[in-house]
Parts: sequence; structure tokens; C-alpha cells
Amino acid sequence: MHGEMPGFFPGRPGGEHDEPLLDMILERRPIPPGASPEFHGLARMLAAVAGPAEPGDLAGQDAAHAAFTRLASRPGTSHAALRSARRSLSERPARGRLPLAAALAVAAAGLGSTAAAFAGVLPSPIQHFAHETIGAPPPPHVASPRPLTVASSPMPRHPRPSDTGSRQPVASPDPVSDKTHRGPLSAHGRKGHGAVPVRATCVPALGEDRGWAVGDTQNPPWPSPVPSQLKPGVTQSPTPSGPSQNRASPGSLPFPWPLPLATKGCPAGTTPYQETHASGR
Amino acid sequence: MIGGAFGVTLANARTGDEAAFACIFHDVQPALLRYLRVITAEPEDVAGETWIQVVTGLRRFRGGEQDFRAWLFAIARNRAADAGRSRHRRPVVPLDMTEAAQHPTAADAADQALEAVSTQATMELIKSLPREQAEIIMLRVVAGLDAGDVAKIVGKTPGAVRVAAHRGLRRLAGQVEQAGVTL
Repeated sequence: MHGEMPGFFPGRPGGEHDEPLLDMILERRPIPPGASPEFHGLARMLAAVAGPAEPGDLAGQDAAHAAFTRLASRPGTSHAALRSARRSLSERPARGRLPLAAALAVAAAGLGSTAAAFAGVLPSPIQHFAHETIGAPPPPHVASPRPLTVASSPMPRHPRPSDTGSRQPVASPDPVSDKTHRGPLSAHGRKGHGAVPVRATCVPALGEDRGWAVGDTQNPPWPSPVPSQLKPGVTQSPTPSGPSQNRASPGSLPFPWPLPLATKGCPAGTTPYQETHASGR
Repeated sequence: MIGGAFGVTLANARTGDEAAFACIFHDVQPALLRYLRVITAEPEDVAGETWIQVVTGLRRFRGGEQDFRAWLFAIARNRAADAGRSRHRRPVVPLDMTEAAQHPTAADAADQALEAVSTQATMELIKSLPREQAEIIMLRVVAGLDAGDVAKIVGKTPGAVRVAAHRGLRRLAGQVEQAGVTL
């Protein structure tokens, strides 16, 4: 113990009084001649260790010079720079992937939303917003209560329970029908629009940009047929007197053409939903 | 130590002057190798890696000769630590090393110091010290760094560095006294 820490035991040789001497040895200064022989020997030993180079002390000189020639003589080129560049290159795809994916997702969402807005399949509030901002078709429930002009549909329809009989609102498993019956359109109807069709839809007439024709609630907005597909005997009511007047009587129009659509139902310059929107306010 | 010409030498080395770099290398390499021989089993390899890092960072270095040496020895210590970690991950122990480890190093080093007064023998004597004391003595005496720089390198206070250096020197002096030889 004492041999381990002689400096902590001042009574022993080599106690704390030797610290200035030790500092002189550490700083490679000459020690006083009166110092003990072991300190003189120690000083000589350390001076030899810190002395000039011996053979073998310059090992690696060629490699160091080669590294210096290769790296230091080329400005801007260093191991750190190369390593950093390598690292950044390896991380760039990972770093760039996230913003790219986010941008693609936003673009896809935007395009999809726009397409959905113009297809008229968005929920009513969003569709209304899209209608006001980007000119998309209005939501179905704000369609005009104007006389429903019907056009023939080029696509045959399969019979649905609500299409048959007296057209009374019946519970339908069709979620579209249910939605239309429950939606705010019913409120519109109760507020003085009379028997507004549950879902009035304008479809573009052939050759027109915005020639929306108002169809029946149960009719999806089929594309307008060519004139030859129009069925004769279609009744069109100029006044909104109720759903029953907006469609052909069950007996007059054979199934699956229960609700022929007018090819030019919307007046020029106006669209039904615009009028409805105005009248609803 | 290069002394007053160090600034010019370093500036020339930064511009790619090989003679200037050789001057710095010749000045520092002996002390670097001796220091590394005390703290690592692969002094030449670690010294090579140290110089590569020094060369790559030479343009960014700012400071005098003392700062340069402190910077270089700090790099060497870090590289030695890396080499030690790498060696621990894939341990390779030669048979002669295993046999040597079974003998007390201090006695062996002291015997060597008695037999011949040489740098190598003194290095072995210093290596017989506890690692921290040996490293601090090498940095103070061989590298020529002051207590403050050594404290930064080894992560201790200057006071702790001084105490450790004194203990190491006393221990060395005790070994010399035990041997009864005045070197």
C-alpha cells in the first residue's frame, strides 16, 4: 500500500516534498545535483525515451507520404469528405424517398379528389365545396326542383323494388336509394319545393358540355343516348308537380326504360343545381 | 520540436509541400510511435491511420505547434481505442503473447532495464505502470504536452493528470532504486 502511493506518506522517502522535482522531470528540465540518485536515473531514462529517433521510429513514413500526396495535394478531397459524400449518397435515396412519396400521395389525392368531384361521387358537403371552387357538378341534393326533364337511358336497368309499382318510397336495400330518401333533399322538398325528386341528376346531353338533364332519383346519371335511342312516348312535365309527373307512367314505358331523359333538359346558360341553390337560400 | 518555423512549415504542408510534411512527420513520428507502443498492441497500424486522419484534416487545423501535437495525439488515442475495440471483437492471441502474459510484467521490465539502458527497456519499464499513469507520463514527457492538454486528451482534470504522473514517476523511481542501479 505504501509502495503504491508513497506520495501520500510524507515520512517515507519520496513523499510530497519531491513534487517539484517530479514536475521538473516531467517537463524535461535539469534536476538539481543534490537530488537522490534514483531521480537522476529516472530523469535519464525519460530523456532517452523522449530523445531523437532511432531506427524503426520512422516506420510508416512511406505510407504517410503516399497518403499525403494522394489526399493533401488535391484540394477539396479528403477521406472525411469522401466518407461524408459516400454516406450522403447512401442516405440520399432514403432521405429523398419520403418527400417524394408525400408529393406523390398529395398529387394522387388531389387528382383523385378532382376526378371524384367531377364525377359527382363525393359526399354532399365536399361536392358542394368542389362545385364552388373548381366548378365541379353540384351535389345531387341541391339539384333544381325545376321541371324534371328526362332523357332516355342507353343502358337498360334492372328492376328494383322502388322502380315498380306506384313509386311509393319503400325501404330499399339500395344504399343509394336510402341515402337519397334520408338526405337533405327531403328537407328541401318539405320546404316548399313540392314533391321534389329524391335524387335529381343532370346528365350531359350528347354534344353538350354542361347539358345536364334532370333525371329521376332512381336513375343514375347515364350518358345521354343518341337520338335514335330515344324512346317515343316519353312524357315530360314542364311543371314540378311531383315525381309521378316526372316519369312515364308504369304502363306507358316498358321496363327497363321507365324514366326516359330529355337530351336537353337544362336551359341554356343555366344549370338546374344553380337555380336550386339560389332558391334554397 | 520545430519551434518558430512550425507555422511556415504547416502552411507549406497545407499547400501540398511534401518537404514540409516530411519535416513535421520526422518531428512527431518517433514520439507518436513510442506513445502508441505503450497504449496499443498495433502501434504502426494505428500510427498510419493517425497520419491519414491528420493529412485529411490538415487544411482545417488552426493553431500552433503545441496545439498540433495535442490534436495529433488525441487522434492517435482515439484510433488506438478503435483498434482495441476492433481487436476485442475478433481476438487473436498469439501463443507467445499468452505465455508472456503469465509472467509479471513489472519484474520482467525491471530486469530488462537493469540489463541495458536503452529506449526500448525504458519503454518496457513504463509499460509496467498502470495504463493511465503510463499514458500520462508518455504524453507529458515524450509528446511534450502540458498538463492541460493531456487532461483534455485523457478526459481528466489537470490536477488528476498531475497526481497520476507523480505516482507513476515515483513508482518508476522505486523500481530503479530497487534494482540498485543508477542509470
